[in-house]
Amino acid sequence: MRRILVRRGLQSLLVALGVGLLAFLITRLLPGDAAATWAGPRASAEELARVRLQLGLDRPLPEQAFRYITDLVSGNWGISIHTRQPVLSDVSGRFMTSLELVTIALLIAALIGIPLGVLAARWKGRPPDWFAGLTSSVLASVPIFWLGLLLQLLIATELKWLPVAGRWDRTLNEVAVAATRTHMVLVDALFAGNGALFVSGLSHLVMPALVIAAYPIGLFARLTRAGLLETMGEEHVRMARATGYTERAIIWRFALRPSMGPVLSALALVFGFALGNTFLVENLFNFQGLGSYAVDSIAALDAPAIAGTTIFVALAYLAANLVVDLARPVMDPRLRDAGR
Amino acid sequence: MTGGSRQGARGRGAPNLYDPARKRTWSTVPRRPKEEEIVVDHRQPPGPPWIRTAALFVVAALAFAACGGSTPTTAPATSSPPASGAPQPSSPAATPAPVDTTFTYANHTQIVTDLDPATSYSNEVCAMHDIYETLTRYDAVTNKVMPALARAWTSSADGTTWTFTLRSGVTFHTGRAMDAAAAKAAIERTKTLGQGAGYIWGAVKTIEAKDPQTLVFTLEYPAPLDLIASANYAAYVYDTDAAGPGAGEDALVAWFKTGKDAGTGPYTIASWKAGEEFELTLDQYADYWGGWDGVHYTKVVYRVVPEVTTAAQLLQSGDVSYVDRLTPQLVGSLKDNPDLQVVETPSFQNVVALLNTKSGPLADPNVRKAVAKSFDTIGIASALGGSVAPATGVIPRGLIGYSDSLTGAGLDLEGAAALLAKSGFGPGGKPLTISVTIVSGDTDLSLITTSLKSNLAKLNITLDVQPLQWQAQWDRAKSADVAKRQDVFLMYWWPDYADPFSWFFSLFHSEETPNFNLAYYSSTTLDAEIDGIQALTATNRDQAAAEYVKMEQQLIDEAVVVVPYVQNYQRVLQASVGGFVDNPAYATVVFAYDLTPGP
Repeated sequence: MRRILVRRGLQSLLVALGVGLLAFLITRLLPGDAAATWAGPRASAEELARVRLQLGLDRPLPEQAFRYITDLVSGNWGISIHTRQPVLSDVSGRFMTSLELVTIALLIAALIGIPLGVLAARWKGRPPDWFAGLTSSVLASVPIFWLGLLLQLLIATELKWLPVAGRWDRTLNEVAVAATRTHMVLVDALFAGNGALFVSGLSHLVMPALVIAAYPIGLFARLTRAGLLETMGEEHVRMARATGYTERAIIWRFALRPSMGPVLSALALVFGFALGNTFLVENLFNFQGLGSYAVDSIAALDAPAIAGTTIFVALAYLAANLVVDLARPVMDPRLRDAGR
Repeated sequence: MTGGSRQGARGRGAPNLYDPARKRTWSTVPRRPKEEEIVVDHRQPPGPPWIRTAALFVVAALAFAACGGSTPTTAPATSSPPASGAPQPSSPAATPAPVDTTFTYANHTQIVTDLDPATSYSNEVCAMHDIYETLTRYDAVTNKVMPALARAWTSSADGTTWTFTLRSGVTFHTGRAMDAAAAKAAIERTKTLGQGAGYIWGAVKTIEAKDPQTLVFTLEYPAPLDLIASANYAAYVYDTDAAGPGAGEDALVAWFKTGKDAGTGPYTIASWKAGEEFELTLDQYADYWGGWDGVHYTKVVYRVVPEVTTAAQLLQSGDVSYVDRLTPQLVGSLKDNPDLQVVETPSFQNVVALLNTKSGPLADPNVRKAVAKSFDTIGIASALGGSVAPATGVIPRGLIGYSDSLTGAGLDLEGAAALLAKSGFGPGGKPLTISVTIVSGDTDLSLITTSLKSNLAKLNITLDVQPLQWQAQWDRAKSADVAKRQDVFLMYWWPDYADPFSWFFSLFHSEETPNFNLAYYSSTTLDAEIDGIQALTATNRDQAAAEYVKMEQQLIDEAVVVVPYVQNYQRVLQASVGGFVDNPAYATVVFAYDLTPGP
């Protein structure tokens, strides 16, 4: 386990360094003069020169790259051009908001997708399998922006079951702002012991989380079905079957857990995919998370913010991969044994 | 019973399939099940089990729906549609709905970039005019400058001395009195810093506080200071001692950065949370000089809603009072909603197509004039529906110098072909390619280029449309290498105060190094006229208007600029909001104090 940890840690470090350099290139390859963007359209030549000096744009490129990487390591990620706030504090706060959304989405995906896959495997070739196949195909292929709009119109505007957008009810704004500690509304509400904020936060999270969960539901269902069908032919399952266990008991007690390898492997990929999806979903549902921050940064050609977002997403993705790599042997001891 | 049998099956010494020493039981070889666990044919389950499972799914979905139904929505206390489909009481005997005195402004971008009233020059302007006040305010309905912090003013005959009489009894939100000395200190700081729109005070030589209520400006050259003092940016009067008397400039800058304000307006900042959805909240300022008699909004909330479809739905659900910008299609779909009102007002913002007069094919006046005659301004405006109106010249309606009698503009492909023939181009002549740059992602500008491309194709001209990010578009236009510059530059322009001067000075006055004169036009005659126009505006507005018309005609005759259209503001707000008048001089500002909240 330690070997895996060290190996993966070193790999992650190399990838992080590469992403850092890539992010630096982004800041220098973006069209336009960063100093002019910073100083505004009517800045004088003197002001432009001052800003250029302040941003270190007068130094040679390799020196700028070295300074950029060392600044990143020391926590100085620059100042966002469009918010005028430190990028690291912007990005980390926004990331927590997105993380909450993505976590709820993946929970929903697991709670719906895995049982759907089990259903399909359990009754392979029969109506439940057809239903699961159709559902997962539709969910995996539907454009999320369209799905979001549809849910907003149907569930929020027509049926009024859930709020249209936002993170909490506007009447709770002052409470929510005062409670902000982790930028995760549910956690903040729990810390503050505010039930109304928790319920409001949850009701605002459900719809965007469902939209983000659409593709993972389909993917989890298909992977679970495939994995389960494979495991069902394995020796220990055949033995369980021979002893007369019900099919339900065989699936839930003996077959499902070792079938989860592909789902776990996909989880890191899906996490990255879901983070990417927040770019659209957060805009639509008015979530002030990393996705909407990235969209604003791109629109404003805010190089430090774009680079910061890129690095943060990459680091989060690496962390998710690491967690999954470590979790797989826990779920499947055969891998743990193989690692020795 | 089943649970009990499962317990029994776990970890009772059953052998492990992979590692006998391991205590975990996931893969233990199962013991023989009890009788009740055995089914007759487990590989071919009969129909009912999956139907039962499906039924479970349906029940779970219904339970979710039921839970969702009980979840409180964000509907406000008033003016919202009924929740959960419950019928709204409509009988006259029903209790009147309480009045919601919170005005929620949905803005499509982040609100605050800079809260320092001297340097603020961005989106926060929508809130700044509710926090700060200016000496005068431009009334776009009467097209006159109206009193604000100054209740009266006079100017000398030559327009170089302006005397403003200030209101008495006005206090800053910091508690200090607003008098001539305070106003002088604020305007001097804004002018000295010279950032953002601070240049508007460029004509001011000295400011004197003659007495607490009298402020005298002496100008370097004649300028319409009453108009300048009503500017959208950089004209605010604020307390320069907000950070403490003698605290210094750095302390004041830092003080503003913490989200505090030092204005005299009806509202003061209650909270500012950068990056949050409810970014800025203003509370009423109890000691506002205008008083709080009658019904007013007591709180103004600025909510960031980037997606227009979401903003439209928030309007319908009653979660926001006002949306600054929607697509014409969405506005059209909301027009019949009895809970909402749509207000359409011509703006002071137009699109200008600047034709390259210095290099490339358009340096030839015949080609340039032919291209100018290929803009189908009527067709473009028609295609864009209610969001734009055809322009008659550079100056939008409502500003000095507006004229609907300018000649020579408009679609004339026959005339264009005749002009091109003189230079050997056009149908049957040499083919020609010209480039146009626009801001990428702007569908309205794309429509202009599509229309132009289609018309130019008939004239044997290929239009190379190049969508770019603004900064890249602008940098390319300013390139020292003239070969890199575009032939046509499309962009939006609007004034910083209600005066057409900025179009002429910024876009058409000669520049040694191009900045915004991206037609690269240079005319000593026009330069002289532009240099004298502010003095004329200060002393004789009728004559100034005639001079502007003359300058516009020159620009059209020489095909320096084409103005495809003027934008219309399409605001959608709750029907319960009373007294809303869109003032194009303050493009994104809603003067919340002037509104009346209704049930």
